[in-house]
Amino acid sequence: MNEDEEQALATHEQELRRGTVVFASLVACRQPQYGYSLLTTLTEAGIATEANTLYPLLRRLEKQGLLSAEWNTEQARPRKYYSVTTSGAEVAAALHSQWLELNTSITKLWKEGTP
Amino acid sequence: MSALTTIYVDNVVSHLPEDSRGDIAAEIKATIDDMVEDRLGDLEHPADEQTAAAEREVLEELGDPAQLSREYTNSPQHLIGPKSYPVFIWAIRWVLPLVAVAAAVTNSIAFIATNDEVQIGALIGQLVGNTIVALLTAFAAITIIFALGDKEMSGGAADKIAGTKKDWSVDQLRATDAKANQIRAEAVLNLIFLVLLALIPLIPTSLVYVGHLNNGETFINPDLESGWLLGYWAFLTLMAVIEVIKLVRSSTSAALIITGVVLDVAMAVFLTIALLTQQVLHPDLTSASGAEVQQIITVIAIWAIVIWDQISTWRAHRANR
Repeated sequence: MNEDEEQALATHEQELRRGTVVFASLVACRQPQYGYSLLTTLTEAGIATEANTLYPLLRRLEKQGLLSAEWNTEQARPRKYYSVTTSGAEVAAALHSQWLELNTSITKLWKEGTP
Repeated sequence: MSALTTIYVDNVVSHLPEDSRGDIAAEIKATIDDMVEDRLGDLEHPADEQTAAAEREVLEELGDPAQLSREYTNSPQHLIGPKSYPVFIWAIRWVLPLVAVAAAVTNSIAFIATNDEVQIGALIGQLVGNTIVALLTAFAAITIIFALGDKEMSGGAADKIAGTKKDWSVDQLRATDAKANQIRAEAVLNLIFLVLLALIPLIPTSLVYVGHLNNGETFINPDLESGWLLGYWAFLTLMAVIEVIKLVRSSTSAALIITGVVLDVAMAVFLTIALLTQQVLHPDLTSASGAEVQQIITVIAIWAIVIWDQISTWRAHRANR
């Protein structure tokens, strides 16, 4: 793969991952998570995420009402915990259905296109 | 928390809306602490060098603070980017009122000097028209200068597409300390402005196309006692000293700001006394009927600038705390 192709791949991967991270964050936040614990959970689950993408994303999801956030100051280090809201859970369920449909579609397309 | 993390977090939040800064800053700080702790692993008492190295790694993983800030604002490409936006706003807030006052004063002087009978309606009409043109011109000029400067600074859109994270290292943090940069930029602009103010008594009237009124002499009455001019320059020198201190330290303090306020007000009082007790402007530039109006307009202009300056200074100080 030459440099231009690598660059193009990196851009497309980033776009693909961005959408995936939204879905994965909603799923993972069914249990309350603070930023770094979510980052670790996603990484361990094989969904590579960068902190500088995840934190702004969590804030946007909070603004959209899909996540609720609460500061926990009882621990030694204050942390902001995110939990999925009712509407967030509905969106996650809808995204899950679409994910499965897309997976079926892309698998079918892939098989049809393979010589 | 180390100074490096503080500067990093300041750089991220300084361009974000004020009401979200505290929350985002606290979250980033907590994250950096978590990530550092994770890197140090089971070390119970890590050496300072180990903690510092882990912190550097974490900050470099988080990447360019400007990029992170852009992620938070989710903003598209700007004509004026986040690096120069605060100085741009500062320049607009400072320059536009000054241009308005300067346009009003010079136009009223020119109008009164060229009309034997001063009619207030005609004077206001000319002032408003010319001041609006001057404001629009100044706004356009400042915007173009900053837009070109910003393009030059950021190297265009290319670095944003390529992803700046890999090209960024913690060593750049001190150089991009947003607050220090802004204080330095403001100090330089203020010094330029003070030099221009210092030159006013020396500028010949021919420079602004009214030289025919007093044979190209200055705007100042040649019979004015030199003590007044020396006092004026002494005030400007003291103000320049404050700006040089800010420039060298790349920081400001409440003591410096208060000294600045005292100097501004003292100078305004000095100029008000000078203008109301004698003929300061060149006698050939003023008609007998308009002399009083000119003096009052000039005094009002001076106090308007002083009050505006204090408001902007305190607002900037509060925003930067």
